[in-house]
Amino acid sequence: MIRLLRRLGYALALPVLLLVVWWITTDDSENFYLPPLRTILRAFAETWTLERFQADVLPSLARFAAGYALAGVVGVTVGLLIGGLRWLRALLEPVLEFFRAIPPPVLVPVIMLFAGIDHTMKVVVIAVGAVWPILLNTVEGVRSVDEVLVDTCRAYQLRRFARLRHVILPAASPQIVTGLRQALSIGIILMVISEMFASSNGLGYTIIEFQRSFAIPEMWSGILLLGLIGFALSVLFRAVENRVLAWYHGLRRAQRSS
Amino acid sequence: MLEVRGLRKVYEGRQRQVEAIRNLTFTVDKGELVCLVGPSGCGKTTLLKCVAGLLAPTAGAVWFAGRPVTRPPEGMAVVFQEYGRSLFPWLTVRANVELPLKRRKLRRAERARLVEESLAAVGLADVHHAYPWQLSGGMQQRVAIARAIAYQPQVLLMDEPFAAVDAQTRAELEDLIRELWRKLGVTVLFVTHDIDEAVYLGQRVIILTASPTVVREQLTIDLPVQRDQLHTRALPRFTELRGHVYEQIQMAKQGARVPVATG
Repeated sequence: MIRLLRRLGYALALPVLLLVVWWITTDDSENFYLPPLRTILRAFAETWTLERFQADVLPSLARFAAGYALAGVVGVTVGLLIGGLRWLRALLEPVLEFFRAIPPPVLVPVIMLFAGIDHTMKVVVIAVGAVWPILLNTVEGVRSVDEVLVDTCRAYQLRRFARLRHVILPAASPQIVTGLRQALSIGIILMVISEMFASSNGLGYTIIEFQRSFAIPEMWSGILLLGLIGFALSVLFRAVENRVLAWYHGLRRAQRSS
Repeated sequence: MLEVRGLRKVYEGRQRQVEAIRNLTFTVDKGELVCLVGPSGCGKTTLLKCVAGLLAPTAGAVWFAGRPVTRPPEGMAVVFQEYGRSLFPWLTVRANVELPLKRRKLRRAERARLVEESLAAVGLADVHHAYPWQLSGGMQQRVAIARAIAYQPQVLLMDEPFAAVDAQTRAELEDLIRELWRKLGVTVLFVTHDIDEAVYLGQRVIILTASPTVVREQLTIDLPVQRDQLHTRALPRFTELRGHVYEQIQMAKQGARVPVATG
């Protein structure tokens, strides 16, 4: 209990300090673009009502979830294939590095041409941007499966599918999770950006609308909300990771202490 | 049961070729416990991988139960030296032992019985639900042995399985192997660099030369079948055999020095 409180104290100390500093430095701010935190928080409460959540936040999150899931399925499946087949890897690796190097936001106008400006476009943008870290980390994870483990599988006659499901996938899972974690923040960025281009609802759209109509405290409150959503998603991610990779963290602890 | 004929293995490097094994011929009969011993770096692991079908020989062949080995054959189980890398860390002890049995069409109850019996046989009846990395090195190697015997192999291949555990654990595991061998009637090919271990365990010891490896001598170990650490190791005959193997290996090392110096 005391340890939990202490950890909570450590976790909260800096955010609280930053908020206090923000509060004090902007308290008597006359700058139109930098309103006092007080004003922003009031705007937050007034702006982000349940109604607005349903109209703007939920569609954003739904598109994010769809795009992220798509990126996950495609990234892991293709990554397992490329990682497992040497000739495919030699063929595709340079191309993959090229695609990875393209900043995903520049693809938004291009994808708009193909996928229109509706939900599909946004989901595709999120997926196209988020798929790379997942794909490349999966390839790396499959490639670095311990050769003794591979020999063990072969000696015990584990066939292709069993080997993939029971050995290669779990062995690569720590790296896959790393890729998924990187993809999470990329996905959130693209969720917002895709809505700034052509949209009639969503978080990115709303923030841009506030900015264009000079509703500055509301704009700030939207940015604050985005930060909170990103934070909540990463906490959720970590909780899932701790469950799925419990064996890995245990193994690492055991290796360190020996 | 197991026949190695004219086995040769050359690794192709970028600049040069390394001849790990020159010419090996020996047989292991059904139910035998044979130890392969040689100076360190004499291609023992290479040999075992060829026998297991994990590595293709450059020339010669391995025959198992009347058939040439071209890939890992059914009925062979391998225990590797690196237990920490050979067990699946995301599976519990029980699931580790069970995984190789899954593709056999066994009834669930039958499979569970095999797993339980094997774990009990290696003295791990009470850690079914632990993960391998929660166990000591010796216990992890016991799990690997349990996995091998649950697989019900005709031949059990062991690649320096006790090289990484402490001396006391090693003695216990040696006795465990003798006991399992006698109880199960399985054929065992045991690779080691430890002379004492080879003499203590084996019915027969095959002494290898340094790399490029050939068989230097085959030695029948005429110690009593019933062996234990205290008395067997104190027998004059044990000391004699041990001394003989030691001498042979020293000579094998020196014999190797000549071609290395000139070549």
